[in-house]
Amino acid sequence: MQMSRNVLRRGRTRVVAAVVAAATVLAPAAAMADSSSSTPAPAASSAGPVFTVGLTNDVDSMNPFVGIVATSFEVWGMIYDTLTGYGQKDYSPVPGLATSWSTSPDGLTWTFHLRSGVKWSDGVPLTAHDAAYTFNRIMKNSFEQTNYGNYVANMTSVTAPDDTTLIIKTSKPSPIMLHLAVPILPEHIWSKIDEKAVQTFPNNKDVVGSGPFTFIQWQVGQFIRLKANPDYWGGAPKVGEVDFRIFKNDDAMVQALRKGEIDFIDNLSANLYDSLKGAQGITLVDAKYAGFEEVGMNNGAATDTGTPIGNGNPALKNVLVRKAINYAIDRQTLVDKVIRGYGSVGTSVIPPIYADQHYQPTTDLMGYDPTKAKALLDQAGYKMGPSGVRVGPDGKPLTLRFFARQESQDSQQVAQFVKGWLKDVGINVVITVMAENRLTDVIGNGEYDLFEWGWVVEPDPDFQLSVFTCGQRSTKDGSTITAGLSDSFFCDPTYDKLYAEQQVTVDPAQRDAIVKSAEKVVYDKAAYALTYYYDDLEAYRSDRWTNLQPQPDPGGSLIFQYGTYTYRNVEPVSVAQASASATPGSTGVASAPTSRSGSSATAVLLGVLAVLVLGGGAFALIRRRGSADDRE
Amino acid sequence: MTAVVETAQPGPVGEPSSAGPARRRSRWRWASLKAGGALGSLAFVLVFNFFLFRVLPGDPAKNLTRNRLVPADQVAELRKSFGLGKPLRDQFLDYLSNTLHGNLGISYVFRQPVSTVIAERFWPTVLLLGVSTLLSTVIGLWIGIKGAWNRGSAFDKVSTGISLALYAMPEFWLGILLIIIFAVGIGPFPGLFPTGGMISPGVNAASVAGVLDIARHMVLPTLTLTLAYLAEYALVMRSSLLDEMGSDYLTTARAKGLRDALVLRRHAVPNAMLPTVTLVFLNLGFVVSGAITIETVYSWPGLGLLSYEALQAPDYPLLQGVFLLFSVGVIVANLAADLLYGVLDPRVGHA
Repeated sequence: MQMSRNVLRRGRTRVVAAVVAAATVLAPAAAMADSSSSTPAPAASSAGPVFTVGLTNDVDSMNPFVGIVATSFEVWGMIYDTLTGYGQKDYSPVPGLATSWSTSPDGLTWTFHLRSGVKWSDGVPLTAHDAAYTFNRIMKNSFEQTNYGNYVANMTSVTAPDDTTLIIKTSKPSPIMLHLAVPILPEHIWSKIDEKAVQTFPNNKDVVGSGPFTFIQWQVGQFIRLKANPDYWGGAPKVGEVDFRIFKNDDAMVQALRKGEIDFIDNLSANLYDSLKGAQGITLVDAKYAGFEEVGMNNGAATDTGTPIGNGNPALKNVLVRKAINYAIDRQTLVDKVIRGYGSVGTSVIPPIYADQHYQPTTDLMGYDPTKAKALLDQAGYKMGPSGVRVGPDGKPLTLRFFARQESQDSQQVAQFVKGWLKDVGINVVITVMAENRLTDVIGNGEYDLFEWGWVVEPDPDFQLSVFTCGQRSTKDGSTITAGLSDSFFCDPTYDKLYAEQQVTVDPAQRDAIVKSAEKVVYDKAAYALTYYYDDLEAYRSDRWTNLQPQPDPGGSLIFQYGTYTYRNVEPVSVAQASASATPGSTGVASAPTSRSGSSATAVLLGVLAVLVLGGGAFALIRRRGSADDRE
Repeated sequence: MTAVVETAQPGPVGEPSSAGPARRRSRWRWASLKAGGALGSLAFVLVFNFFLFRVLPGDPAKNLTRNRLVPADQVAELRKSFGLGKPLRDQFLDYLSNTLHGNLGISYVFRQPVSTVIAERFWPTVLLLGVSTLLSTVIGLWIGIKGAWNRGSAFDKVSTGISLALYAMPEFWLGILLIIIFAVGIGPFPGLFPTGGMISPGVNAASVAGVLDIARHMVLPTLTLTLAYLAEYALVMRSSLLDEMGSDYLTTARAKGLRDALVLRRHAVPNAMLPTVTLVFLNLGFVVSGAITIETVYSWPGLGLLSYEALQAPDYPLLQGVFLLFSVGVIVANLAADLLYGVLDPRVGHA
């Protein structure tokens, strides 16, 4: 009969549709396996427990000459070694691939003695020739200098007279030789990649390194997997594998930590950190950090040859005005309100985490003192006008532009606070929020008055100090202005002399003294108004993991250090300890960090889905029978 | 027993079986006109893409080397390698000839060929967006049809209300809510789904376990997208079906004794379909452009988020490649929709 034929046809169509749907799911998965960025891992890699770190920034390249983001440097530090390392306690030089080193009396020849018996991950022995090859390659090719140029700037020759000795000759005494943060690369691999090919060489397959971990896989935008190297010269790591999982969303990452999908989060925002207080099995870490934020000021924008550029307000050229602004800012309020107390008030440009090099102002401290600020402005010739805004010698009211950054809520908050405080002392402030890219351009061209930004300072102070030298101001070629590193256009011959001196002083105590004097010049001349030093907020599952290592010790960050102390030492909490501390509220499994499970959950889900589909189908079939007369 | 006689169907669906040579020629002319229009749009997109991104502020070489001690001549070298030193006209001609040869250039940020960077994210995007577009189309259409056919019933009111409420919610908020409820778990209910990503680290994508793992990761993002866009289809289908329902030919069909369901399915819905077909194809065209908010919430490696990240540098070759792909997707989908009208509706389709 006609009716039953129609029913049969429809049934067949449904089956066909189901098969098509299944194929649609399988085909892209197969295609995805092909297009993944490296060889997929073997299905069962049970090398040991897996430590998973949640991150919001992905690696940009596995090639140490190409990548530039912090995550890339972190991963390279786990795969490759350097000659010397940064000590866990206070960043002082410790042996790496080099066991000892010495300088000639004139300070121009450095001899490094390399460890013997070290092997690359492919079994080839590591020798001083690999180190010589790495440095010579960087010295020869300008592309390789993008990341490592400052380390070889003073080198004149690098040779390896035998397998365990490396001799580096420099043109001037160079303290940077104690901290050559250059990954030593295998010559037998990299000599096959010429200077053109290296610019696009991905280095994501069969990576050969000598570090505590070896590279397994990088699924772009999703995760990076590193396996422990059991033959590492510094001792095998206690974990079997470290995974970095990429999240695009901080909230989701925190939820993943709560659930136990990941074990560690770094660089939390203050409110997410507070939201984790009291969570079972999670330990919060408020670590001292080497970062600071500042209100930048246009000290008088000019090129490195002295030609004025831009349209900065001339008031800021006056050191008294800049000091007044420093006295007008209540830094403690910023620490309390903007970063919720996770930091300390800012003074000089080398943060207190570098205790030997931080300059702490005492009698010259510019604290919160609006009266003093007003007095300084009067002294500078800016008398209070009728409408509450000061009027300068040129008769115009004192109005300054403040550029806050779109990408940072904190930046915009600081802008609002500063606007209020400057109004109290008679300076009118107009706030504009712009993208960081645009702000970089604007600063380079000198078209600003005040802005809010920050720096993260490396253990070696050279880079941070260079930012205030006359030579780092913008350069002008015809009509094109190219920005240097200077975002203050500070230029002081005394400072430049001190900078040049610390660059060639190798003795740490002598160098520290010169560095502090340089900081004092910048502080007294108020190139910046440093607002605060902020902490690094971290959280991890202490119900599963123990023995994480801070740097500096104590009180510093647990990961994203200048070293791999946590990755090499972290180990699972023992089963006995775990059952004692596990509580009913924790959703994560306290004793099995190797969780790749979920297959049981999958089975349950599939079962539920099957019931729904079949039930729904049966229901639809039965309901089909309703005709027009039934309805009426 | 008299057999139900189906005479020549009333309504415009289907065309007279005697299509003479003149009709066929005019069909072809119409189809080629449409195809020509699509090619013209594509050409315009090619040119426009190039100039669009040059308007963005910032010099990519400077931005990529910001705050690092890169020697000035290396920055200049970088700018030269990007081809930015040449006059604009030369850059444009290079771009045209490269694109037409299939070479989309090298991404500034990833330092990989743009086609590789896009290919890595193409299938995840199509998988997520394709499945959720399909689901929200099917479910939305069903809701719309049932709602219109039983207008005023409880089903109609409740379903329209719920789908509108879901449509009005910000989808990223809905996404985070679903993560908290289903991925982490609330109270005694365990979290069954992962909080993000596409596949668990260490699982081989090509294996059965891998397929199941990807399916598990897909549930929440697909659910979010489906729920968020149900209302589009439901409302459009509902209103166009309501328009059709008053027609005489449906009364005739019912008077002939046809089952209610057949009247609906064979006559009313096909004729009410045209506006919905427009919508479905428009959205299919947008499948490749990804869903940036969902990709952010669920850390799904898609093209939407890639295009946003490319704007940071700005990474011209990647942006050009990605936008070319989006434009091609929309143009092709619209061409398909145009051609499909010619089949569905014989009033259209002749030039």
